[in-house]
Amino acid sequence: MKPAIATNFRGWRAVVIHRPDENRQRLAEVLARLGLEVRLFDPGEPAGAAEDCDLILFDADDAIDGTWPAGADTDVPVIAVIGNEAPSRLARVVCRRCDSHILKPVRSSGIFPAVLLAVNGHQQRRRTEREIGTLRQRLAGRRMVMKAVLRLMAELEIDEETAYEGLRREAMDRRLPIEDLARERLGGGPEEGPSAGPRTSRNV
Amino acid sequence: MLFSETGSYSAVGASMRAGAALALEEVNADPDLPLRLEPVSVDPGGVTAAYADAARHLLVDHGITHVFGCYTSSSRKEVLPVFDKHDALLWYPSHYEGFETSENVIYTGAAPNQHIIPLARHLLANHGSRGWCVGSNYVWAWENNRILREALTAAGGVVMGERYFPVGDTDLQDLVAQIVEERPDFIFTTLIGVSGYEFLRLLRRASARIGLDQAAGMPVASCSLSEAELPFIGDAADGHLSSSVYFSTIRSPENARFTARWDARYGRLGRACADAEAAYVAVHLLARAVVRAADTGLTAVREAARGLHFQAPQGLVTIDPENLHCAMRPRIGRSTRDGTFDLLFEESGPVQPDPYLVWSSGAPLARPGPAHLRLVP
Repeated sequence: MKPAIATNFRGWRAVVIHRPDENRQRLAEVLARLGLEVRLFDPGEPAGAAEDCDLILFDADDAIDGTWPAGADTDVPVIAVIGNEAPSRLARVVCRRCDSHILKPVRSSGIFPAVLLAVNGHQQRRRTEREIGTLRQRLAGRRMVMKAVLRLMAELEIDEETAYEGLRREAMDRRLPIEDLARERLGGGPEEGPSAGPRTSRNV
Repeated sequence: MLFSETGSYSAVGASMRAGAALALEEVNADPDLPLRLEPVSVDPGGVTAAYADAARHLLVDHGITHVFGCYTSSSRKEVLPVFDKHDALLWYPSHYEGFETSENVIYTGAAPNQHIIPLARHLLANHGSRGWCVGSNYVWAWENNRILREALTAAGGVVMGERYFPVGDTDLQDLVAQIVEERPDFIFTTLIGVSGYEFLRLLRRASARIGLDQAAGMPVASCSLSEAELPFIGDAADGHLSSSVYFSTIRSPENARFTARWDARYGRLGRACADAEAAYVAVHLLARAVVRAADTGLTAVREAARGLHFQAPQGLVTIDPENLHCAMRPRIGRSTRDGTFDLLFEESGPVQPDPYLVWSSGAPLARPGPAHLRLVP
C-alpha cells in the first residue's frame, strides 16, 4: 500500500517573506487556521536559518535575496506568492525550485492545496534525490565489481558467472553491498572502515 | 433562496426551503428584530450546471446580497465565483465534507469533525473495527471514506471493502450479496438519495434470508440519513445509525416549539431534519447579524456574524469568528419505525468547527513534523 500523503500541518513552522499588505495578512490568517506557526518577514530583513523553519512562502514580485533563510535551498518546501507574470520575475520562482505557488490577490481558497502540494511534492523530490544518490554510488562501484570478478576468474580459473555468483552470495551472507565487498577484495576496504577481511576465497 | 425543490434530491431541498421559510416568518413577526426579510426564490432543479445562472439571476437581476442555498458540494463550488465577483454572502445550510473556508460563505451545517469523526469513534467503541464502505461516486463519499479509513487504520481496524456507484444507481444486488458474505462489523454508507434507500432495503432482506438480525449484527451507519428520508425506505427504515448535530427528538423548549410549528405546517415533508434546521438557523443568524451591523452589505454583515450566537432547536449555535463555520453539538441517533431517531450519544457540549481537521484528526498526525526529512548521508 502506498504511504498516505501528508494532510495535516499542525505545528509546522512557516516563514513568510512578503511586504506587509492585505495579501500577507490573509496568508498569515489562513496558515494559522491550518495550524501552522507563522513568522512574518519584510523583504530585506534577515530571516535567520533554515533549521528553524519547515516551510517558506515568499513574494516572487519582490527582491528577497537578503531575507532568504541560510541553508534553505535544499532543505524545506518552498511556495511562491505570484502577482507579476513577467518572465524575469518567474525566473526566480524556477531558480528557487518552488514546489507550488499561490496567485495574488491571495484568497482563502488555494492556500491549503498549495501547502499540501508543496510539502508532498518536496517529500517526493527528496526521496528521488536519495535514490539518485544511491544509484550514483552503486554505479561508481560497478567498476570495482567487474575488477573483482575478473581477479576471481583468474585466481580460481572459474567462469564469469560462477565468480559473480560467489561474490554476490558472500555479500548477501555478510549483508554488505556487493560494491563494498568488491572494494574490500581489491584491497580498497569498505567505504565506512579499513579493509579488515583477509583476501580469501572461502565462499567461492 | 437557492434550493432544489425538484430533481433527484428534492426531498432535502424542499425541507431546507421550508426551514428557511419558517424562520423568515418568525423574524418578521419578532418585535425585537427591527427588519423585514423578503424572500426571492429560484429552483435550479438539482442540476449542478444550473446553479451558477440561478445565483447570477439572484445577485445581478435582483441585486440580492444574502442567499440561503445549495445542498451538494458540487453546487456550492459552482456558485462560489459568482458570490465572490458580486460581493454577496452564501448562507450554506448543509453538513459537508470540509476542506474549505470562503470569505463569501457562512456554513451552518456540520463540519467533518462534528459528524464523521464522532461516528468513527462510536463505531469503534460499540461495533468493532472491521468496516465496509459504500458510497455515491463523488467528493462527499470519497472524503468521508478517507477520514473513516484513517480512523479505523489508526485503531488497528480494517476497511474490508470499498465500492462506489453513480448517483441514482439502484443495481446493488451483487454488492449486498458480497457484504452479507463477508460479514463486516458495520457498514458505512455515503450513498445518497434513491441509491441509499434501495441499499438499506436489499441489505435488510438479504440478511433476513440467512437469519441475521442486520440492525443488531451488521448495522449501517452514515452522516446523512435524516428524518426527511426515512419515509422513503419503507419497512427497512429502522435500526440505522446516523451522525448529526440535529434530530427532531432532541428535548429542549426551542426544539419543542420548532417541531410543533414544523409538524403543523410541513408535516407532509416528514419530521423536521438536520438540513431544515440548519436553514432555519441560518435565517435567524442573518437577521441578528444585520441588526448587529445596522447594515446589509457583505463585509459589514460578515464581520458582525463572527462570534454571533443563537439558541437554536439543537442548542446553542455560535459562528466561529475565524472560519465562519458553526460550533455545534455532535450526536448519534438510531432510526425508528415512526420516522424519527433515538438519541444514543450526545457530545457534552458544542464542538468548535474544524473544517480542515487540523485539531481533531481521527488518526494521529500522518507526519510528526518535517524534522525527519533531513538528508540521510
